Amino acid sequence: MQNNQEVLLKVEHLCQYFGDVKAVDDVSFDIKKGEVFGLVGESGCGKTTTGRSIIKLYDITSGSVFFKGVRIAAGKRSYVKAIADAKKEYKEKITAVGDSAEKTRLQAELDKIIADNKAQIKIANYDQKHCDKEYSKIRVKEVDEKYRPLIEKASGQEKAKLQAEYKNELRKAKKTKLVTQIQMIFQDPIASLDPRMTVRDIIAEGLVIQGEKDKKVIEEKVYEMLELVGLVREHATRYPHEFSGGQRQRIGVARSIIMNPELIIADEPVSALDVSIQAQVINLLNDLREKFGLTILFVAHDLSVVKYFSDRIGVMYFGKMVELAPADELFLNPLHPYTRSLLSSIPLPDPIYEKQRKRIIYQPLADHDYSVDKPSFREVKPGHFVQCNDAEYEKYMSILK
Amino acid sequence: MENKMQVRDLTISFRTSNGKVQAVRGINFDLAKGETLSIVGESGSGKSVTSKAILGILAGNAIIEGGEIIYDGKDLLKISEDEFHKIRGDKIAMIFQDPMSSLNPIVKIGRQLTEAMLLKGKARQRESRETFNTYLKDLNQSMIEACEKGTKAQIDKLTKKCRDFDKFEYKHLELESAYNVARESAIEAADDIENLVFQMEKKAAKDASFRMKNIARLAKASVQEYVVKEKADQLKHLAAQIQKESGKVKKAGCDYTVAIQMLKELQAILKEAIDFPMPNFFAMGYCLTFGKEALPKLSVPELNVYMRKYLDDHFMLDFIADAKQGIIHAANISYQNKEKAIVALKEKLPVFEKESLVSKESYDALKYMAAAVKATINKLEIVKDSLSYTFESGVKGELDKYFASIGKNKKEEAKYAKAKAKYDRLVQRGKEPDWKVAAAQITDLELVRKNIVRQITRLIENYETSLAKRDQRDYDAETVATIDYLKANASGVVNKVTKQIAKNKAIKLMEEVGIAEPRKRYNQYPFEFSGGMRQRIVIAIALAANPDILICDEPTTALDVTIQSQILELINNLKRERQLSVIFITHDLGVVANMADRIAVMYAGKIVEYGTAEDIFYHAAHPYTWALLSSMPDLDTNEKLEAIPGTPPNMIYPPVGDAFAARNKYAMKIDFEKQPPMFKITDSHYAATWLLHPDAPKVEPPRIMTERIARMEKRRAKDAE
Repeated sequence: MQNNQEVLLKVEHLCQYFGDVKAVDDVSFDIKKGEVFGLVGESGCGKTTTGRSIIKLYDITSGSVFFKGVRIAAGKRSYVKAIADAKKEYKEKITAVGDSAEKTRLQAELDKIIADNKAQIKIANYDQKHCDKEYSKIRVKEVDEKYRPLIEKASGQEKAKLQAEYKNELRKAKKTKLVTQIQMIFQDPIASLDPRMTVRDIIAEGLVIQGEKDKKVIEEKVYEMLELVGLVREHATRYPHEFSGGQRQRIGVARSIIMNPELIIADEPVSALDVSIQAQVINLLNDLREKFGLTILFVAHDLSVVKYFSDRIGVMYFGKMVELAPADELFLNPLHPYTRSLLSSIPLPDPIYEKQRKRIIYQPLADHDYSVDKPSFREVKPGHFVQCNDAEYEKYMSILK
Repeated sequence: MENKMQVRDLTISFRTSNGKVQAVRGINFDLAKGETLSIVGESGSGKSVTSKAILGILAGNAIIEGGEIIYDGKDLLKISEDEFHKIRGDKIAMIFQDPMSSLNPIVKIGRQLTEAMLLKGKARQRESRETFNTYLKDLNQSMIEACEKGTKAQIDKLTKKCRDFDKFEYKHLELESAYNVARESAIEAADDIENLVFQMEKKAAKDASFRMKNIARLAKASVQEYVVKEKADQLKHLAAQIQKESGKVKKAGCDYTVAIQMLKELQAILKEAIDFPMPNFFAMGYCLTFGKEALPKLSVPELNVYMRKYLDDHFMLDFIADAKQGIIHAANISYQNKEKAIVALKEKLPVFEKESLVSKESYDALKYMAAAVKATINKLEIVKDSLSYTFESGVKGELDKYFASIGKNKKEEAKYAKAKAKYDRLVQRGKEPDWKVAAAQITDLELVRKNIVRQITRLIENYETSLAKRDQRDYDAETVATIDYLKANASGVVNKVTKQIAKNKAIKLMEEVGIAEPRKRYNQYPFEFSGGMRQRIVIAIALAANPDILICDEPTTALDVTIQSQILELINNLKRERQLSVIFITHDLGVVANMADRIAVMYAGKIVEYGTAEDIFYHAAHPYTWALLSSMPDLDTNEKLEAIPGTPPNMIYPPVGDAFAARNKYAMKIDFEKQPPMFKITDSHYAATWLLHPDAPKVEPPRIMTERIARMEKRRAKDAE
């Protein structure tokens, strides 16, 4: 599946600040169609926030997110900062020069920079708000193109039927949102299901919001999903509290795949489950992935599970992506000291080995010297990226040789 | 190894509207000092219920059907709530699974950390005073009794000795606590300097100015006669300079060279002070209180020798000799009473061995026995290693339960019969009622009676062993221990826990559990912490009281790998340092490999396999353990995981045979009919599965597991090269 090189999701310089807290700071990566991208890191490093920013649960501060080539989220902090910087810079310059002609020239330059950035902000604002509108326009056009010729050709009863179908599809297309093709599975299967809704309502909610009104279609779809995730039809009328943790998580999975999503953001879907149930859910996700060619952003902290499940893995530390590589490569050649420390803390079911295991402790201040040479995200080997500065880059290259 | 805790035949059920849920069904285990016992099982297997029973915090609808949890000679299932207050949190602490719900969201972290310290500090102060006074009084009494033919003068002399002891002990503690405060500030200042200098050299120091001021303050506080004495002037001068310098380093990116040099100088002085030997304050207390002449000017080690000799010559040797006499006297009386008590207990035992008990006869017998048992209690014993304390309340509780349930059963049974009749009627009419008949909640009378008999026989055994060991007692050592005990209690009186002390201790704990910038974090609310940080706070709270046994109920389940391994390491280190016994409850076998000394695997309220970590991971014998081991992926797993099918059984109607049979692909016919007994595999390894029966067919453990073991062996061999 890795051979398919079409990029489904592209995250560029994503920043998400909450006040002074930089939850996600300049993170870039892309997810190819059909792959499972694992995101690991300790609690509070921003991996969940990244997931939530992608699905637009938060308005991002800066950067952009492209889904299927459409910019679905855009932040404007970087443009605002650019304007402020330019103003400051030019103010100094203008006061420094005495010539009035030079002054007007500089002022004009500044005005241009401000105008450019303001335009960018406008575009970003529009994208942020209206990406769904743009997409639904495309969808409406597609539906139009599909049904128009058919209706013209058909006659009598068939025509009426097609017309009804066309109307239904058109209404759905108008309501389509691009973001609904990204679905989320939440960590806590107890808190993420409304206790007052039956399983049928929970699973069908997305469909109903999207404009599906035909009860029969909804019912059939719900049953199909239930069977897909290993539950039975009879479960549809029950309430969430009647299920065990593993079954509830299955309901969560069914709710997300009923929308036929292209991308699933699984935010620690197995962390709250017992080991034996964990295996059931992972097996289920694996089956679904094979069946539908799903693309999954798998956020988790259990490295054994991430390794088992993902094609590529990104390691995050304090809002920054520090290393990104294919799963096997990452575990074979971990380069960034934080990744090494993370790998050294995986518990293994081997007591004798475990009792000798030394955990590598990561101390950012002691391990890096960034006082002069600032780090950046660089490719050290095809597909293997590390956050490093020049000196470290040299070091990593020599290690890889 | 010394056993800290024994759990015997623990059986616990829950009363629910659908019937009685049998959560724990007769489990047995021991917990040795300084070992980690891990209880592994799925949710609902009864592992948390067990831990809650140990801590006495079972839910209201729990019924303890039988068994005992022996800790410190007491049966925790039978002691009163008041006695439990002294154990819960103080001796046995618990770390809960969910750090979100175990902290109060509207109280600052600092207050939550110090709350218990302050409360307990006050209580302990009061209690220590009481213990100290009564114990000294008892000792005095016993000493007087020991010299039978003593004249009035002799008795007065003994009393005066005890009073003197009290007096100079107080002085000792005053001196020592002043010393401790000063020394601790020296240590803290030195640590702080090390951190700050490191960060300054890396140009990453935050609020350097404030921290330098703080260091100066701490350094000044460390000036004390026995900590920083000779270099006091130099230190004060340096501190003043640092204070001045701190004004200059406010801006980011300024020059730190001068500051670093000063700090390093200060650190050298402090380090020297920290390594300075500690004077014998106990002896000094006596010399200062009763000594005629002033202390000679000597170096500390020489001074210690001098003071020690002075104390021994004037007071201590005499006092120890007298105390020893007192202790021997009290022990002898206790032995005599124990002999009598054995007779009394044996005499009344047949009353409870009858098939049904008679109310008046039983209570009278209990009264008679309780009086005999009470007489055996030796107040001078420091380690209260006897069941005598809980005997009366324990047996009385069981008796009450017995007679109460005889009366109650009639009502319950009538109710049950009525409901059952209605149910049957509905079924006969061809309907399917959607409600179930709740079983009559009948107490198992036989079990209650057995519990009583066991308590009596256990007490007899206990007395007999103690009598047999009578000649092996080392009274000299005991006397020394007694005096240490007195000292410890006296220190409890003087060591006041003020808000400042509690805060310092809390901040130190926060540092210990790995929270950065504890001073800032101290004043924050729980919502400002991430999950891992919150769990650290919870651990810090549990450790604040310096417990004996730590129960960890899935402490790392909600945490990520790095934090998990940090916290496991933390628990491991604490265990080693403090000789802590840990009960570690988890559903994840992977976590316990480097933690556990022994592992008990629980399923449906029973321990199905029990052994050392090596036994369980390399030679697992029960199909459930196999299933657990093969359902988790490791770094080399590529094939499909083997999930355990189905869900655990409904424990309102526990299966007749092996509870795991329905989900077990190795199940045989007998598994559905009869519960397997515990088969012994090696001395340390037991498992309850019919597969171990000599007649059972030979089965291979799952491939995914055997392959992993082979892989692990290969890797270990490679590492060894």
